[in-house]
Amino acid sequence: MTALLPLLLPLLVLGVILLVLVADLLLPATDRRAVGILAAAGVAGTLAASLAISPSGEAFGGSYVMDELTLYLDRVFLAAAVLGILAAIDHADRHFPTRQGEYYLLLLASLAGMLVLAGARDLVLLVVAFETAGMPLYLLAALPKSPDGRSTEAALKYYFVGAASTAIALYGLSLLYGAAGTTRIAALGAAPVSPLLFVGVMATFAGMAFKIGLVPFHFWVPDTYEGASTPFVAFLSVAPKAAGYAALLRILHGGLLDHHALWLPPLLVLSAASMILGNVIAIPQGNVKRLLAGSGIAQVGTMLLAFAVGTAEGVAMLLFYLAAYVFTNMGAFVVQSVMGEHAASDDMQAYRGLARTAPGLALAMLLFLLSLAGIPFMAGFWAKLQVFIAVWHAHQAALVILAAVLAVMALFYYLRVARAMYIEPPPEGAVAPVVARPTRVALIACVLGTVGLGVFPEPFVRSALDAAALFLGQ
Amino acid sequence: MIPLALFVVLGPVAGFLLLAGLPVLRRSGLAAGVVSSAVALATLVAAIVLLVGVEPGAAPVIAQIDWLPHQGEAFARLGVRVDGTSAVMGAVVALIASAVQVYSLGYMASEGRPSIGRYFAWQSLFLFSMQTLVFAPDLLQAFLGWELVGLCSYLLIGFYYQKPSAAKAAVKAFWVTKFADMGLLTGLVLMRWQVGSFAWEAVQPGWTATAIALLVFLGAMGKSAQFPLHVWLPDAMEGPTPVSALLHAATMVAAGVYLVVRTWPLFEASGVALHVVAWVGAITVVVAGLTAMVQDDIKKVLAYSTCSQLGYMVAALGAGSPVAGLFHLTNHAFFKALLFLAAGAAIHAVHSNSIWEMGGLWRSLKGASLLFLVGAAALIGLPGFSGFFSKDFALEALAESHLWGPFALALGGVALTGFYVGRVVVVAFFRRPAKERGRLHTPLVMTVPMTVLAVLAVVGGLLGGPIAGWLGGAYHFHVTPEGLTATVLALGGLGLATWIYGYEGGRRLVVLAAPAGAFIRSGLLDRFYETAWRQGLLVVAHAAGWFDRYVVDGVMNLVAWSVLEGSERTRRIQTGRIPDYVLAVVVAFVVLAAWGAVSGMSGCGSTP
Repeated sequence: MTALLPLLLPLLVLGVILLVLVADLLLPATDRRAVGILAAAGVAGTLAASLAISPSGEAFGGSYVMDELTLYLDRVFLAAAVLGILAAIDHADRHFPTRQGEYYLLLLASLAGMLVLAGARDLVLLVVAFETAGMPLYLLAALPKSPDGRSTEAALKYYFVGAASTAIALYGLSLLYGAAGTTRIAALGAAPVSPLLFVGVMATFAGMAFKIGLVPFHFWVPDTYEGASTPFVAFLSVAPKAAGYAALLRILHGGLLDHHALWLPPLLVLSAASMILGNVIAIPQGNVKRLLAGSGIAQVGTMLLAFAVGTAEGVAMLLFYLAAYVFTNMGAFVVQSVMGEHAASDDMQAYRGLARTAPGLALAMLLFLLSLAGIPFMAGFWAKLQVFIAVWHAHQAALVILAAVLAVMALFYYLRVARAMYIEPPPEGAVAPVVARPTRVALIACVLGTVGLGVFPEPFVRSALDAAALFLGQ
Repeated sequence: MIPLALFVVLGPVAGFLLLAGLPVLRRSGLAAGVVSSAVALATLVAAIVLLVGVEPGAAPVIAQIDWLPHQGEAFARLGVRVDGTSAVMGAVVALIASAVQVYSLGYMASEGRPSIGRYFAWQSLFLFSMQTLVFAPDLLQAFLGWELVGLCSYLLIGFYYQKPSAAKAAVKAFWVTKFADMGLLTGLVLMRWQVGSFAWEAVQPGWTATAIALLVFLGAMGKSAQFPLHVWLPDAMEGPTPVSALLHAATMVAAGVYLVVRTWPLFEASGVALHVVAWVGAITVVVAGLTAMVQDDIKKVLAYSTCSQLGYMVAALGAGSPVAGLFHLTNHAFFKALLFLAAGAAIHAVHSNSIWEMGGLWRSLKGASLLFLVGAAALIGLPGFSGFFSKDFALEALAESHLWGPFALALGGVALTGFYVGRVVVVAFFRRPAKERGRLHTPLVMTVPMTVLAVLAVVGGLLGGPIAGWLGGAYHFHVTPEGLTATVLALGGLGLATWIYGYEGGRRLVVLAAPAGAFIRSGLLDRFYETAWRQGLLVVAHAAGWFDRYVVDGVMNLVAWSVLEGSERTRRIQTGRIPDYVLAVVVAFVVLAAWGAVSGMSGCGSTP
């Protein structure tokens, strides 16, 4: 039994999956709302367990490790899953009441894959975990089937681009194996420098960059966000990004840090491209989901900056950024799910005068927007500031300046939503949108996270620093 | 000691959260005030116990937690630092805040219930912010408190936000102080960059010390209303009178002085900065004193007087004596808060701010008048009253450091003080009233805090020794030539004002000495000053406007145009067709792979 202890968290999630499966079978087809609550409670319990345990070593003969980094990332995934499930409960119950069990099963399966992925130290396990995490997402993007076929289109776009990217990633991983002669990531660095190795690195990176949504692998992002159901997009916009970075951290920092000078330049180029293009996509948007999609591309570009510099400080700040991003970005999408449901459209016009009709909801959205923009005393402020500091220390001042200028530009489109809420009057006869109880819980958690990390970032920064330092052995 | 300090800082925030979080309590009117005042009084007790417990000359006790950890040393910390300086200032702040809050229970009683709740919520928030600043273990936390008190000031000046002038004054105060804060913030960044720390003691001799000190002082000039950034303070009188007493006379405006005392090592390391400080302080003494002589609004007289008195503190700092600065700060807090509160009682009774509409208050409002006179005596510096000792100490410091220019200005300011105080006292309290009124009444809840302050305004001189001890300096009262001169000048100013405004002969003097009298009476000086300021500002504004219109806007338009154009193009790339997307992925992969191949080739054969 103790041999399985490092796998406690994925195993707990498997347990939740079984519970959800049984509950889905037992409950009458007319009333299965409880399934979602069960799933949320189960994952919340797992999250609580993850906060109680400490790193417990290796499993599968060293292919998997539960170290500080795994634990930190697992907590991020679990938090994102709890929020994602809570936000989906009302939506699922309303739009596909009989099939809601499937929704949670798929989401939990993806979660289990992510939990294993975070600790993968072997290319084979990494691929298996990566695909376990990724496959269910394609299906989830298609749920519920919308009458105009938009969700199907969103899912198909995601799937085809994803298939191409996965193929490239697998090709890259096979090249890495070919160059190093081993699937153990730690041994990759010992391989002699060769074009083979680096084509492999770049191809692997390209595959992961699709999951993260980096330019130029981002084309699916706005289309899929727009078409898929918003509560799912909340999860999609956060957890797979963290998973992509987890895989990249394991491969590039865990195995190929010695060749850092060789993979740094292309990553910096992609980071700059993502930050620029993401903002450019977001600026003219009237559709809030597409706006958030553009903003998300820019945000992951900023994270790539922290990732690329290859220092423990950079890794730590990437980890902190991910935690801040979970609460902030999911919060914004959860508000959007409420507003989209209320107005039956994702247009920004729906936000007009929200501060007067629903001050609480408007305030929550304002906090998320300010955090995304990096305004002081929101989680996103410390995240951005610390990434900038880390990148500055790594002597990439030009990119810090670019990122800072773009962050100021980004204020423009974030504040457009705020303007609609606070300055424009509500339309005639506007009523407050209904916020279901589980959604409300998710929103409160997001607000607490966004403000909490903003006012007192210490514990999170501390554990991120510890995780990064131990991971890189610095 | 640390738990006490934490209570002093965090107690008020509990009060604020109670009021802000419980709508029932906030809308209950006076009950909210009672809660807030009770919290303030509790922190006052704690602050006094804390102060008594601080051994003179003892090393500071610091407790802090990492707020933003960093590799190696934390980037930012939060905590409390207890030493003589912070304990003295903390006690003064708690005392004035308690007095003002209790007084407000009477003064604000006629406001609407939700307004009272709002008022006391901001009061609690202010107290928390101020103590955060006072007990800050480093400059960064002090900056947070500094900005928070600025916010509270904005909210409280604009308390009567339905009144356009109040809203305008709030905005003006905000912008002027924000401009100065930009200096402070720049200093903070420079300090972190050059010295690598936010600590109070962090100094690097040379140009950095001077630059940081001057930038910090720019922030202090804004907050402490020093010439030429003092223009916001008179307008800030739009706030309720107790707010003027607390924020804009006794505590918040003194924060600039406190900041300089705290960053003292920085100023000590830079002779240039100290000279600038001394001159700015002395010029403010005279300019604000002259302006105070012609104001008709009793609160504006007191506001300009506050600028002028802050000038003494700043000048004392410039003369190298933080003890004198803090000593006068303490005494000024007592007597100026008292003057404002007593003036508030008069305004409350007469329903006007104009001294010409008051008149004869000595008859109709005995208690408050007596209290005002005590405060006035302390302000003028009549022998035996608190202001006498601390002002003389400041003058002595200036003389000792041979800063004769600032010394002369400060000495002249004493006569001006005597004059404008005498004018207000004679006109508002002893002159025959414009219309007869019966006996006016001041509620007990307002009288008690004023009486406490009045006692302190009388005996405040005794605090010189202890304060000097806590700061690690020395103070012994002794008669000095400059002290005697100052007393004579003060009495001269007072006598002149009494004669001019109190007696027929004096008024004839005004007529005879038409040029000087008319000049002062017409407020021309004030207007000249206002105009000069406005013209100067206009020139700057025009230059800024030109720059903004043609350079900034031009660049911004170019950027905006290219961004929008770029957005349109990217929108066209975003075709929505899957084959296009897959093609993009493949092309990107090929490019990246080629890059990888080339960089792999360049390092070919080498093993790490």
